[in-house]
Amino acid sequence: MFENTILLLMVLYGVAGVIYFIRVLLGPTVLDSILAGDCVSLDVALIALLIAVYYENNLLAGGAFFLVLWAFVLDIFASKYLVKGEVGV
Amino acid sequence: MILSLIGTLLLIVGAVCDIFGAIGMHRFGNFYLRLHAATVGTVGGKFYPLIGVGLIALDRGLLPIAGVAFLSAFTLLITTSVGSHALAYAAERAGVVKIEHDELGGDEDD
Repeated sequence: MFENTILLLMVLYGVAGVIYFIRVLLGPTVLDSILAGDCVSLDVALIALLIAVYYENNLLAGGAFFLVLWAFVLDIFASKYLVKGEVGV
Repeated sequence: MILSLIGTLLLIVGAVCDIFGAIGMHRFGNFYLRLHAATVGTVGGKFYPLIGVGLIALDRGLLPIAGVAFLSAFTLLITTSVGSHALAYAAERAGVVKIEHDELGGDEDD
């Protein structure tokens, strides 16, 4: 039962990620795209962990933590360059 | 068994929060409101599901996956608020949204 539920949840998180990705493409400003890109990257991390549980493979889980860190680094560096005025909105 | 049940419930609640956050990213009108939707989608839609994945992995004896899931959840809880504040500060400095009363400007304009 849990296997089918995990598959269904992967599809649901994938649908949410696709809706976020539309905002990445449509975003009127760079900040909107960055915000939606964070959510997409965290969604991908969660789906990677779900796949690792589904296939019971420990090696698949390693990349998820780096995706979480990547979202944070993207926020901080984009904010830094926007505040300094080196990149326009 | 009970850990898998709790984890699956957390995953289902998180999926609902995530989809609501994704819809809110399109329904809300300006950047600050979208920041609220993204926070709902991040804390409700990723933090709780990561705890749920950790519980399911614990129940199945997959200890490395459980460790990565709990560590990711803890990191996410700390870094999301910091990143959201940084983005909001950058948006205010860059003048993305017109606001009538600038409370973030402090006493410099008085």
